[in-house]
Amino acid sequence: MATCMSENGSERKLEFFLKVPFPSEREATIALQSLSPDPEPRKGGISKNLDVSGQTLSVRWTADEARILRVSVSSFLDHLSLVMETMDAFGPPVSQ
Amino acid sequence: MTVVIGFEGSANKIGVGIIRDGEVLSNPRRTYITPPGQGFLPGETAKHHRSVILTVLQEALDEAGLKSADIDCVAYTKGPGMGAPLVTVAVVARTVAQLWGKPLLGVNHCIGHIEMGRLITNAQNPTVLYVIAYSERRYRIFGETIDIAVGNCLDRFARVIKISNDPSPGYNIEQMAKKGTKFIELPYTVKGMDVSFSGILSYIEETLFAMLVEITERAMAHCGSQEVLIVGGVGCNMRLQEMMGVMCKERGARIFATDESFCIDNGAMIAQAGWEMFRSGHVTELLDSWITQRYRTDEVEVTWRD
Repeated sequence: MATCMSENGSERKLEFFLKVPFPSEREATIALQSLSPDPEPRKGGISKNLDVSGQTLSVRWTADEARILRVSVSSFLDHLSLVMETMDAFGPPVSQ
Repeated sequence: MTVVIGFEGSANKIGVGIIRDGEVLSNPRRTYITPPGQGFLPGETAKHHRSVILTVLQEALDEAGLKSADIDCVAYTKGPGMGAPLVTVAVVARTVAQLWGKPLLGVNHCIGHIEMGRLITNAQNPTVLYVIAYSERRYRIFGETIDIAVGNCLDRFARVIKISNDPSPGYNIEQMAKKGTKFIELPYTVKGMDVSFSGILSYIEETLFAMLVEITERAMAHCGSQEVLIVGGVGCNMRLQEMMGVMCKERGARIFATDESFCIDNGAMIAQAGWEMFRSGHVTELLDSWITQRYRTDEVEVTWRD
């Protein structure tokens, strides 16, 4: 869901939230650690924050422009689905 | 016994290889080939890798006859290379490392080439083309291109004259060059230890390779080296090997090169560099496992050689 917020009445930042359920907290954490290390390709205009709470991976984006936000979200979803396919094919995680 | 799996996908080849103590157990690979006149772009290349990587990974395990429990370490290409394909491959490597509970290792692509070359050829302390010599725990860059890489130059030349990219543009240039009879003198740009390839996109192999032979010879003279190891995709080229061989013979030096399974980008070379690094105590924490498009060969501390 994307919403607009005014800051100091002059700048408008776009936000996007995503919550992804996983079968376990362990798998949500694995996804987090696979998806967070790489920097955004564009240095400016976008920031992304990942967090795990229970079995849910939540992601929060803040961007200056809709186009940049779309590209980042789209790219993230591609990588997320790749992580999930990898987990399906090569999981479940070994017991620690 | 140490078994390392390596993931490589920094350009248009995606490969997964498994090495056990110097033995290549499997090394499957796929190449993203574009139509003549077209180069490969990051987004499309990443899409290609994404569509085949899990299949290639399963192939690597099956051909090696191993299960994930048999793997000791997961190595992947940290850089240099194209951003989008690097990320695609890194994401899978990080995921399986965590699923299998194994340590992760980010490898420099060029060091992968060097370590594979050393393993296959058994060269002791060679001067390596791309003009590199080992000294005091670093692969020292003796000379380099000041603009584009020789492989990139050959690929772009092939694109301009619309040579097929199947199996690779460089291979097709080489086949056509074999039938050539007329040598045209073109700008030959060596600046001290370095070379420049961008000025001449209408060149012929002879000139490019002669430049490389010259700077390799200079590096050997500086280091007192009696061995040359050629690595990287352009290393497959028999004419380059031949020209380098002539120079080596004149100096009483030995030339080493590998076949196309190993000079072209592949997963096993990442596994081999990973094997060396893992055994000398390197590990990459997940937080530090970000990929990078620029990654110089001399940035890595080579703790596995003395």
